[in-house]
Amino acid sequence: MKRQADDLGYGLMLVLVWLTVLFLVAPIIVAGAMSLDSRTYLGPFPPPDLSLQWYERFFTDRYFLRGLQTSLVLAVIAASISTVVGVLTAFVIDRYEFKGKEAMTTFFLSPLVVPAVVVGFALLMFFSLTGVYDGFWRLLGGHVIITVPYTIRTTIASLVGISPSLTEAALSLGAKERATFWEITFPLARTGIIAGAIFAFAFSMDDVAVSLFLTDPKNYTLPVALISSMRANFDLTIAAAALFLVAFTVVLILVLDRLVGLDRMIGQGIYRS
Amino acid sequence: MKIVDVDAVSKRFGDVVAVDDIGFEVGQAEIISLLGPSGCGKTTTLRLIAGFEAPDSGRISIAGQDMRGKRPYERNVGLLFQDYALFPHMTVEQNVAYGLRHRGFERSAIPRRTGEMLELVKLRGLEKRRPAHLSGGQQQRVALARALATEPEVMLLDEPLSALDAKLRQELRVELKEILNAVGSTTIVVTHDQEEAMSLAERVIVMDQGRIKQEGTPTEIYTHPANKFVAEFIGRSNWFNGRLEGEVAPRVHRFTRPDGPELLVPAPADPRAPTYEICVRPERITVESATSKTGAEADGPVNVLHGVVVDSAFLGADLHMLVEVSPEHRIAVIKKNLGERVESNGERVTLRFAPADCIVVPAEEQAPAA
Repeated sequence: MKRQADDLGYGLMLVLVWLTVLFLVAPIIVAGAMSLDSRTYLGPFPPPDLSLQWYERFFTDRYFLRGLQTSLVLAVIAASISTVVGVLTAFVIDRYEFKGKEAMTTFFLSPLVVPAVVVGFALLMFFSLTGVYDGFWRLLGGHVIITVPYTIRTTIASLVGISPSLTEAALSLGAKERATFWEITFPLARTGIIAGAIFAFAFSMDDVAVSLFLTDPKNYTLPVALISSMRANFDLTIAAAALFLVAFTVVLILVLDRLVGLDRMIGQGIYRS
Repeated sequence: MKIVDVDAVSKRFGDVVAVDDIGFEVGQAEIISLLGPSGCGKTTTLRLIAGFEAPDSGRISIAGQDMRGKRPYERNVGLLFQDYALFPHMTVEQNVAYGLRHRGFERSAIPRRTGEMLELVKLRGLEKRRPAHLSGGQQQRVALARALATEPEVMLLDEPLSALDAKLRQELRVELKEILNAVGSTTIVVTHDQEEAMSLAERVIVMDQGRIKQEGTPTEIYTHPANKFVAEFIGRSNWFNGRLEGEVAPRVHRFTRPDGPELLVPAPADPRAPTYEICVRPERITVESATSKTGAEADGPVNVLHGVVVDSAFLGADLHMLVEVSPEHRIAVIKKNLGERVESNGERVTLRFAPADCIVVPAEEQAPAA
């Protein structure tokens, strides 16, 4: 009797897991199918015939392309800055003992907890008060803030795995602090650092909530452009753009997987302290 | 000539005094050991000598040079870490060459020196391997070669054998000693394992709670422990409480006990202590069946106790026995396996040991020796 209950429970869990997978994948499948719709208007699912017209529109639309360009430039710069900042911060947090270390760590990771809308609004106020009106700089500031927790987190995770005796061994063998960092610590933490950088890039590409507050007419990101155009005239270019972003992210994640092993990195990177 | 001179060194971490006014010297090519339980301050002492911590007071000199304010890389100290601390992203060769590169060895001489070191630790042929592809024993030898390559003034070994299994430990202990002697290395071994300390070192410094409890050769600290801590920490021991009375024969005293017959014991090494306890090592006690008639006529005075065997464990070379001589008082006895009859549980036995086998140790209340 007990055994049957166990078997039933196991079966139910399997069903639940597959339902979850379906639930996660279904919208992407629908969007993917619709982005290939040959109709020129928004018709019901499924599309009767296939064409690449929406992709063509996306890649010829200057408004979207400008957004894509801004997004890419922004993501590269923001990810670079937040990687440098994240590595330095993580190194200090891991290596040295000082007063308020716990508080500092929490503080650095706080953008993970504070709602993005709050971050966006607060930044808008801050930039207005300090006289930063150029949209690009405002976006850059915002994106560094929301991506830095990821680079700190992944770097700390990989630094924690490095035995302190390795650093001490290098020092006792005559290497100075700087050589020790570049020859021992950095190479061993490299996977975590790369993972953090890619995460930062992906989150920057993806962000809407913070960016919405910080854009100006000339500087807007692709997600913001998609939302604006959706309000004005809803057509399937958005589906094409969305699929393009999905494909982009998949490629990124495949690269990541080849470099470090994705499950390991996600497991350690964000949730393990 | 003394290479390492630790003079009145103290170190505290917050409220905890890790090292409390300790001092010792290590001579050229001498191997000494800092032995004590975890938290006794031995590792802190090692880290102070290596330069990872700075002493709050006192002075540490290496080869006549004051080490105050000197960073680890400004001291010529070799370290063998408990976890070996091999750089996982470098080959064996690169690991061994690391110190040579940073200590300003001539570039062209590095490969030859690296080869020599690997020859010394018998790892020729593994130059291109990564540490992850080596056995524990091999990793330790790479670590040793790496530390010795730059000819450090002093080698510090942190629990060098504890990460290895028992059999390998035996082999490597001998090899480690041979290598250290071959290069004439001045060495400090830090360990909590008395066997490791006594087998590697010519001189053992026993530490507890940040202080040195005794310093001496392995034989001295085992046969003449200065206090109860040392006697209990090194080897197994049986204890008898009571009062030391007058001399009954030259250098033989009576020791009266509240819970058993009196013992005959030697004169104490330190005659000023108010009270003493008697320690008898298990292997110094002979056991025989109470009904047996032999051995009763020993030369000179002898202590005799009667009891019942409550436990015996056959361990191959030795037999460990517990004999209850009075309620609550059990005596451990170690008997060599010489093929004789083994006393069984519940059997009445007679224990004998000479006065010379008793160690008179100042009782615990006494202030620790300065």
